[in-house]
Amino acid sequence: MPLSDAETGSRESGVGGRSKNLDLRPTIFSDPRPPTPDPRSEVVLGALQEWMQSVVTHHGDVYEAAEEASIGVETVILPSATLQPIQRVGIYHSMYMLRMIEALGVDYGALANILGEETFEELVRAYVLRFPSRSYTLNRLGDALPEFIATSKLLKGRVFLRDLASLELAMTQVFDEAETEPLPGDAVSSIAPEQIAGARIVPIPALRLVSADYDVNEAFQAWREERAIKPRRGKTWIAVHRRDYGVFRMTLTREAFAFLGFLIAGETIGSAITMFHRRFRRLPEQNELFTWFRDWSAAGLFAAIEVD
Amino acid sequence: MNRFNFPDLGIGVGLRTVHFKHILGSQPDVDWFEALSENYMDTGGRPRYVLEKVAERYPIVLHGVSLSIGGTDPLDFDYLRKLKALARSVNARWISDHLCWTGVSGRNVHDLLPMPYNAESLRHTAERVKIVSDFLETPLVVENPSSYVEFTTSTMTEWDFLAELAAESDCGLLLDVNNIYVSSFNHSFDPNVYVDAIPADRVVQVHLAGHQNHGTHIIDTHNDFVIDEVWSLYGRACARIGDVSTLMEWDADIPDFETVHAEARKAEAFRGSRESGVGGRSDGLDQREPTTDNRQPDEAEVAYAAV
Ligand SMILES: [Fe+2]
Repeated sequence: MPLSDAETGSRESGVGGRSKNLDLRPTIFSDPRPPTPDPRSEVVLGALQEWMQSVVTHHGDVYEAAEEASIGVETVILPSATLQPIQRVGIYHSMYMLRMIEALGVDYGALANILGEETFEELVRAYVLRFPSRSYTLNRLGDALPEFIATSKLLKGRVFLRDLASLELAMTQVFDEAETEPLPGDAVSSIAPEQIAGARIVPIPALRLVSADYDVNEAFQAWREERAIKPRRGKTWIAVHRRDYGVFRMTLTREAFAFLGFLIAGETIGSAITMFHRRFRRLPEQNELFTWFRDWSAAGLFAAIEVD
Repeated sequence: MNRFNFPDLGIGVGLRTVHFKHILGSQPDVDWFEALSENYMDTGGRPRYVLEKVAERYPIVLHGVSLSIGGTDPLDFDYLRKLKALARSVNARWISDHLCWTGVSGRNVHDLLPMPYNAESLRHTAERVKIVSDFLETPLVVENPSSYVEFTTSTMTEWDFLAELAAESDCGLLLDVNNIYVSSFNHSFDPNVYVDAIPADRVVQVHLAGHQNHGTHIIDTHNDFVIDEVWSLYGRACARIGDVSTLMEWDADIPDFETVHAEARKAEAFRGSRESGVGGRSDGLDQREPTTDNRQPDEAEVAYAAV
């Protein structure tokens, strides 16, 4: 069960949305339609904000957005010395999608890489239409992306892409989880023999289990090392966890994954063994159990042991 | 000194992830840091750890982008509770956010969307500022945004709106001189008039930043050095306000820490004969007054493993 390198990369949310290299000309300045000035209005604050949000977050271009909106742009926005009202509100419209793409691109770097710029942008556009941000933070904007990919008709190779996204989602969750001091490495082995069956292991919060139909751990590693990502079929089981503020990916066997899953679900060690037997029609070997607990303790996956 | 007795912290730099390692490792001689509140509120991971380590050594100010003080959705008290807890844990000297709204109907556009400047907006925003300041137990500090549109329903200038908002809600002001310049270009007004109209005794802090000029309009990108025109606005502001906590924002194409810090330190040339200057950090800490009685650096005492 080799540990991969720590993923200590930065993950600064795109809060505030200062998008760089913004050139609006191709989309905003290309429409020659003349302005049609409306008389000034008495649009109240709430209606104005609803209107502006609907235009800024519209999935089409700003002209389509304005056409569908309930209030004419010129009713609400003044021209400047150089820009028409629609061009001015178009600045916000362009920046909105850039911000969403940037935020999800940080959390789903490998996915963005394998999809390529254009397809990833298309995916983000479709995704935020269905799952727009409802939080003060962008950190959780992508929480539904794996499930969205699984049902998206836009993409080819959906199973691999969903698996890769699931791994990247687990990594962002683990990155942000609460910090808990892990148990010392010898804590499990120091439980009195008569108490082992009834003992419950409390995992650290920064731990997620990911099972996949493709070897997404290798795919992710390839991206990290700037090698080409090649989807390779094969059941994969991964524990994603954080230690000393670095995010790690630990590959597991099917049996280890199942046993750890039982423990994380709150089963006692005794009942985890029973469930393991039911699943694999054999008991875990003494040696297996020893190795698992040694490796998991050394990786700092456990926060506490509850003994009745 | 402003009317809130918020101290002049000197010249600070925005705390950014790409500089974490440098700051923890080299402990640069910077006066203070401003942290983006939302980047630290919902995480128990490395960003929060780093912020708390930084707060052990440097004064911290929290700067938010999601309060939506001008929004028409109800105020988000879950957000405010977390903000208050974060402020206490890092002994934030004050808390700022922007004169803007960020979304309606439960959504967040994650942009600083502009307000129409009229009596209705003023009443609405002033009421919310008072509620927020009461809840946070410290006067909210409100920043002038940069903007790309003007509304037909505006009946007053942004500077008049800010002055009236501050008077009505008793809030502090964060004067972003780059934002003034950006908006003055986009909306064709004289930025000097803006600076001259701001109630000096309410200005707690000043922001500096770079931007991108597209010819027909300027986008507030925070990805470059401060241009001369903005420096001269800063000088004008200092002449009116006196020495005031000053911060360099750099959010995209971020260079190494020393480059950002060197750019920030150009502000020294515009400030008065401040004795301690850069490097006066440690001495200054002891003299600073807490912004509220209950903001003790309790969690800053927690010991952490080395990075
Ligand atoms: Fe600013």
